[in-house]
Amino acid sequence: MDGAVVKARREMFRRVLVANRGEIALRVIRACREMGIESVAVYSEADARSPHVAAADQAILIGPPPAAQSYLDIARLVEVARGAQCDAVHPGYGFLAENPAFAHACADAGLTFVGPSAAVIALLGSKTAARDAARAAGLPIVPGEKPPRQTNAAIKECALRIGLPVLLKAAAGGGGKGMRLVADQSDLDEAIDAARREATAAFGDGTLYIERALKEPRHVEIQVFGDSHGHAVHLFERDCSVQRRHQKVIEESPSPALSPSLRDRMGGAARSLVQSVGYRNAGTVEFLLEGTGDNATFYFLEMNTRLQVEHPVTEAVTGVDLVRAQLLEASGMPLPWTETELSLRGHAIECRVYAEDPAQDFIPQAGRLLCYREPRLPGIRIDSGVVEGGEVSVYYDPLLAKLIATGETRQVAIDRAIAALRQYPVLGIRTNVSFLVSVLSDHRFRDGRVHTQFLDREAAAIIATEEQLPVPDEAFAVAAAATGRQSHTGDAPTATVHRAPDPWVTLEGWRQ
Amino acid sequence: MTPGRFIVEHRQETRTVEVSSRGEVVVEGREAPLSVTAIDDHAYQVDADSRRTRVFAAAAGETREVFVDGRVFRFDVVGANDRRRAAAGGHGDQPMAPMPGTVVKLLVAVGEHVERGQILLKLEAMKMELPIRASHAGTIAAVHCREGELVQAGARLLDIEGP
Repeated sequence: MDGAVVKARREMFRRVLVANRGEIALRVIRACREMGIESVAVYSEADARSPHVAAADQAILIGPPPAAQSYLDIARLVEVARGAQCDAVHPGYGFLAENPAFAHACADAGLTFVGPSAAVIALLGSKTAARDAARAAGLPIVPGEKPPRQTNAAIKECALRIGLPVLLKAAAGGGGKGMRLVADQSDLDEAIDAARREATAAFGDGTLYIERALKEPRHVEIQVFGDSHGHAVHLFERDCSVQRRHQKVIEESPSPALSPSLRDRMGGAARSLVQSVGYRNAGTVEFLLEGTGDNATFYFLEMNTRLQVEHPVTEAVTGVDLVRAQLLEASGMPLPWTETELSLRGHAIECRVYAEDPAQDFIPQAGRLLCYREPRLPGIRIDSGVVEGGEVSVYYDPLLAKLIATGETRQVAIDRAIAALRQYPVLGIRTNVSFLVSVLSDHRFRDGRVHTQFLDREAAAIIATEEQLPVPDEAFAVAAAATGRQSHTGDAPTATVHRAPDPWVTLEGWRQ
Repeated sequence: MTPGRFIVEHRQETRTVEVSSRGEVVVEGREAPLSVTAIDDHAYQVDADSRRTRVFAAAAGETREVFVDGRVFRFDVVGANDRRRAAAGGHGDQPMAPMPGTVVKLLVAVGEHVERGQILLKLEAMKMELPIRASHAGTIAAVHCREGELVQAGARLLDIEGP
């Protein structure tokens, strides 16, 4: 690297390409705006009217709706970034965020990739290499292996050697795609086929990794940050045990299962991995936790080399801005905080609002958001990528929004999240809002006694209980009143309809 | 508010609801009327006894969706004098594709008996496998798709006849 490049990297970026869509694109665009950096959004034909397109300083069409021809098109994104004279690229999460080829292509084109180096992404992106790196850094590992021969017979033999129950995982990626828990030998064949099929569809690589499944483990991850000056810090934990088929649904910090000494040990372990691989920028070290309190055992699961969906939880309890820190670090500056300056205060819970139908196996939903109103309440932050009247397409992740509730205690945060969800109408598309309320209200969640299999076992019962609840009279009344109001199309509401100006409604953010 | 009498159906529950021009709404089975005030296109304020509730509504095709207190209810509403009855049963019970996707596995054949809740086929959409289940028990009368086929949202996949 020559002197001119080093000098340029120490100055803050002038223009950043945001290589993503939805709520995370908006999150990055807003951070750029706050820091006086111009933002360039990209969009597919399906997203021409999406909020992130309107929010950026400029927006460039990159291709047709399928992600492979738009948000995953490395050559196109690099070309657009160069054409728009960007000096950096923020990948968000998902899509190309953990793709070493993309980080590499950016670097080759003279663009700063906001994240770790391509070599580190490649190292930690490979399950086997990541485990070796973690083991070398002194982190405990769950027993597992990648069968060299990937036939069903070889995989079965490996699973039985490790001992059931096992987890089948896509060797090439994360995010729960292609993952299967198998407890019974007779289910192995079907699970192997399904996992391989999903892994191939999601990552273009059907190679499977087999791992011993822990007994009712919790998913506890540590937010970490490193910089190019050799600094490494951890920003405490997030407990993401409320998952459905390995997709996180509710995340919180601090974890109800961690004692202060365990927190120190896990944080220290995560930090030592950051140091030993020379990790730069934001990352997350995921662990599985068996047991609670000082007697709990933790195992390295994987490291995510990007900003997480649930990063606002950490922001809420530490008071830092992780996206701002990412941009500062990527521009060559040292981390804005030291380990001793970081502290954990209060409690935060994130609920992921998905376009899905809990009553039908959580099938993703698509369509128009006929009514979409975000609640405004104390201690509530909502990061969303949709607006009333907007379309939710079938092409991308069904995440509509993240609702983050903060309070001085866990109980206050839970109560706030419930209150906010009860004032969060989404109509036109089925969502998991009421399901989230039910889970937050469940005594096992309130008592902090859930583990990663909790939802897979209990979701059906939680939904069935909810469906037994009576339909309120108010619902019947408005169903009829609204019909009467709109049955004569074209008619203005009659004079007797009282229209009250309502700041709660009129001050609502995005309206199309 | 346009006054009128409506038959409001939610799954197994049907109630007659009378709306007055003043926004007074009488719901069958409830003594005291509720007072409904329209706030905007979708928002309503409902006063019942001493309780005030903010309710939201939208028309999604034939269905009236109503949001109250974190829950969404889907109603079929018809005027009490309207001869057209709310669509009940019929084709609505047949398995349909909830979204565009590829049929990755067809698990039943014509003539086969299926139980309610049984997985009939698997669709792949958004890189996920979606099981399509029987909404009622019966016999497979026809199969309208094949493995590997890309089906559109709302496409009828199979016919299930009788119990």
